[in-house]
Amino acid sequence: MRLLATVVGGAVCGALVFGVWPEMWKSYGIMGGWLAATIVIGICWYMNHWVGMIWNEPGRIWVDQGWAVSSSGIVWAVVRFHSEFAQCLPTLICCLIGGGLAGVLAAKVKKHHPSFNRNAGVPAESREPVCMK
Amino acid sequence: MYEMMSHYAGAIGMPPVSILTTVFGAFCVAFTVIICWGRLVEDFGAIGGMMAAAFIIGTFWVLNHKLPGFGINPELIPHPDGGSKQFGLIYQGFRGAAPWVDMGTAIAAGMWVCGLCETARGGRLWAAAESGPRVLATVLGGAIGGAMVGLIGWTGANLFGYK
Repeated sequence: MRLLATVVGGAVCGALVFGVWPEMWKSYGIMGGWLAATIVIGICWYMNHWVGMIWNEPGRIWVDQGWAVSSSGIVWAVVRFHSEFAQCLPTLICCLIGGGLAGVLAAKVKKHHPSFNRNAGVPAESREPVCMK
Repeated sequence: MYEMMSHYAGAIGMPPVSILTTVFGAFCVAFTVIICWGRLVEDFGAIGGMMAAAFIIGTFWVLNHKLPGFGINPELIPHPDGGSKQFGLIYQGFRGAAPWVDMGTAIAAGMWVCGLCETARGGRLWAAAESGPRVLATVLGGAIGGAMVGLIGWTGANLFGYK
């Protein structure tokens, strides 16, 4: 059932992003795109990750709604503009490489940067509260 | 310089310089989201997530995906050597005729790889396999949503004499 909720959350997020974002950008330009990010990603994040439609458990690999936005953008363009899927592969691979690099580096930063290790060596009773996640 | 940079464009489907900009744009947005989003949520709760959506995604959308349009240039700006100028860092192939590649790809991949790196050695294969169905379900959901929105172009009602 959690997987079904994940599918539904992804579908709503994908439809909202590609139904609203291009229209906002065409109508209001840069500010429209910025506003679309606020309203679309804001409410989708609230539903998918704060309330938890997309299935994530503590201590497991994080599944982000970005996957839904990604597949949605490709399928949307293929269905609507009859684009060829193979044409987006180079950009897609570059995006995956860039994101993967960022993931590796961010993991290193989270492990070693003092800002992410404020509680190291502090006795348990005087620690700062940790995140619920 | 321009010639050298676009020499292999035919073979790999995009100009080599666009590989640089795409990887850099993907790296920037994924790194910022991974580092900042969780901390913003820790500090401000659900409001912090809304702030992150506005400040991080909104701002990086301008960097990665803005196109010439209202307020910039309604037509594409032609390049002297042919083609037209790309404005965002993430390259959209064939003057945007290729399927849209969103920076969500980079963020999701970054989150996934970061989670994989944070998993203790020995449990990584299991963790990756465990996340598989959840990733597939999310991708399937996005595909359904995208297809539904795309179908509007085929079946939209003919309102107000629209042509």
